Amino acid sequence: MLLQAIVNGILFGAVYGTIGIGFSLVWGVMNIINLAHGSFIMIGAYLSYTFYISYGIDPFLSIPIVMFILFIIGYSIQRFLLNLVVRGSIFITLTFTFGLQILIANVCLLLWKADFRSINLPYSSVSLSLGGAVIPLVRFGIFIVAVILTLLFYVFMKRTKVGLAISATAQNYEGAKVVGVNVRNIYSITMGVSAALAGVSGALIIPIMSINPFIGGSLVGKAFVISVLGGLASTFGALAGGLVLALVETIGTIIIPSSFQNLLGFVVLVLVLVFMPQGLLGKRTYNE
Amino acid sequence: MNRKLITLIILLALFIIFPFILTGFWVRFITNIFLFAILASALNIISGFTGYAAFGNMVFFGVGAYTVAVLMNKLSFSFLSSFIFAGLISILLALLLGILLLRLKGHYFALGTLGAAEAIKYIIDNLTDLTGGGQGITIPSLHGSPVFINSFFYFFMFILLIIIVLFTWWLSRSRLGYALKAIRANEEAAGVMGINTTVYKIIAWTLSGLFTGLTGAVYAYWFSYIDPPTVFDVMWVVRMFVIILLGGAGTVLGPVIGAFILESLSELVWSKFLNLHLGILGTLIIITVLIIPNGIMSLTNTGKGLKGVLESIKKSRDNAL
Repeated sequence: MLLQAIVNGILFGAVYGTIGIGFSLVWGVMNIINLAHGSFIMIGAYLSYTFYISYGIDPFLSIPIVMFILFIIGYSIQRFLLNLVVRGSIFITLTFTFGLQILIANVCLLLWKADFRSINLPYSSVSLSLGGAVIPLVRFGIFIVAVILTLLFYVFMKRTKVGLAISATAQNYEGAKVVGVNVRNIYSITMGVSAALAGVSGALIIPIMSINPFIGGSLVGKAFVISVLGGLASTFGALAGGLVLALVETIGTIIIPSSFQNLLGFVVLVLVLVFMPQGLLGKRTYNE
Repeated sequence: MNRKLITLIILLALFIIFPFILTGFWVRFITNIFLFAILASALNIISGFTGYAAFGNMVFFGVGAYTVAVLMNKLSFSFLSSFIFAGLISILLALLLGILLLRLKGHYFALGTLGAAEAIKYIIDNLTDLTGGGQGITIPSLHGSPVFINSFFYFFMFILLIIIVLFTWWLSRSRLGYALKAIRANEEAAGVMGINTTVYKIIAWTLSGLFTGLTGAVYAYWFSYIDPPTVFDVMWVVRMFVIILLGGAGTVLGPVIGAFILESLSELVWSKFLNLHLGILGTLIIITVLIIPNGIMSLTNTGKGLKGVLESIKKSRDNAL
C-alpha cells in the first residue's frame, strides 16, 4: 500500500514538475505570478481531449501540436497585453492575470461545456509490475515524457542563445538590454515557453484526471506550492518540488481521512511559506 | 469645499429616502452595492494603504458569516450579540494569521493568505456537527414585512459603510495612516525611520479583517442560508480588488465609487448575458488595468473629462516595458 503510494507519487510528481517549471519560469524572469497558468494547463488538456475525441490522435502524439498552439497563445498574450503592465505593482499583474483566467474559463465553458472531461485510452488497463507495486503503462509514459521535457528544458536554458538571454534578463534586466537583448521579445518567448510547458502538463493529466473549466484556480495553487518548494531557482528544484508535493498528496491519501485531503495542499503551502520561503534547494534568484 | 459638502449632504439625504420610494428590487440592489463598498474599503486598508496584497481576505467574510450562523442556529443568540461576537472572532483570527503571515512580502503574502483562507474553508467544511459542513447552515430569519426587512438591511449596511468611510477618511490624515503609507512606499526605510512596521501591519490587517467579518455577519443574517463554497469564494476578493483598482487604491471614496460602477455593470451583464458574465468581468478587469491602473479617483489629479482619461492612459505607459 505504502510502496504503491510512493510509486504513484513519483510517477505523478514529474508532471507536477513540468507545471512548476513553467510557472516559476515566468515568476523568476518577470516577477509575475501568472494566475492564468492553470488556465493554460486547462487549454492544453482540452486541446488534447479534442484531438483524441474528434480526430483519434493519441494524446502522446498530439503533444507537439498542443505545445505549438500554447506557445503562440502565451507569446501573443505577453507581446500584446502583459508587456503593457509588466512594470506595474503586483496588484496590477495579479489582478490582470486573474482577469485573464476568468476570461479563459468562460471561453472554455462556451466551447467545451461545464461537464467533467477525461480521456479513457484503450491501453489504460495495461500495467507493469515491479516488486510489490503496479505501474500502469499510461502513468509510466506520462512520467517518461515529463522527465524528457524537463531535461530538454534544462538544455534549452543552458545551451541555446535564447535560453541564455532569458537567464540574463532575469538576472539583470537593464544589463541584458545594454548587451543587446530585445527584452520585449525575450519576455514574450518566456511566456510562450511557460505556456507550452503548461500545455504539455495539461495533455499529460487528461488521460488520468478529469477536468472542467473551473479547475484552473486549484492548479495555480499547486503550481505555486511547487515553485516555492523548488525555490524559483532551477529546473531541478521545480522537479524536486513537484515530487515532494505529489508524494505528500499520495501518502496523505493513506494516512489522512479522505474528507481532510483537500486541506492538505493548503496546509503544506502555508507551512512552506512560513518556515521555508527560500525553498528546498535554498536559492532565491533565478538561475543563481 | 462648500460645494463638496452640499453635494455630500444631498447624496446622504437621497440615500436615506431611497428605501421609502424605491421598489424592493432596487433597495436590495443598493444594499448589495453597499456590501461591496464596505468589503472593498476594508481591503483598501491593508492593500491600498499598506500595499499588502491580501488575496485571502474572504476568510474574514466567511468566518464572520459562520460565527453568526452557528451562534444563532445552535445557541439561539440574538443577531446583535452574534454580530459583536463575529467582530471579536475576526479580530482574533486576524491577529493569529497576521503573526504567522505578515512576515511574508509581495507574492508570498498574497498566496499565503489565499492558502490560509482555503485551509480554513476546508476546516469549517469538515466540522459538520457544528457548521453543517457542505450541506450549509440556515440562520433564523428576521421577522416582519418585506419592506421592513429590506430597509433593515439597507440601513444596517449603510451605517456600516458610513462608519468605514469616516474611518478611512480619518486614517488618510492620521499618524497611523501615514505610517501605513510609509510601509507601502518602502518598508525598510519606514523601519529605519522608527516605525514599528510589524505592529502597524498587524493593526491594518486586523482593522481590515474586522470590517470584512462584520460584513460577513450581516450577509449571513440577510441571506439566512450560507455554505462554505459561497462565503469563502475567492471571487469575493477578486471583486474587492477590481473595485479598488477601478476606484483608486489608497483613496477614501475610491472603493465606494468602484463598487457602484462594478456592481451596476455586473447587474446589467448578469441579466442580459448570463453565459458571458465571467468573460465580460475578465475583459473589464483587463481593460481597467490597462487604461486606468491608478483608478478613477486618479483622474481628478490628471484633469477632468476626456482629457483626464487620455492623460491617465499616457501615465499608464509607466507600467509598460
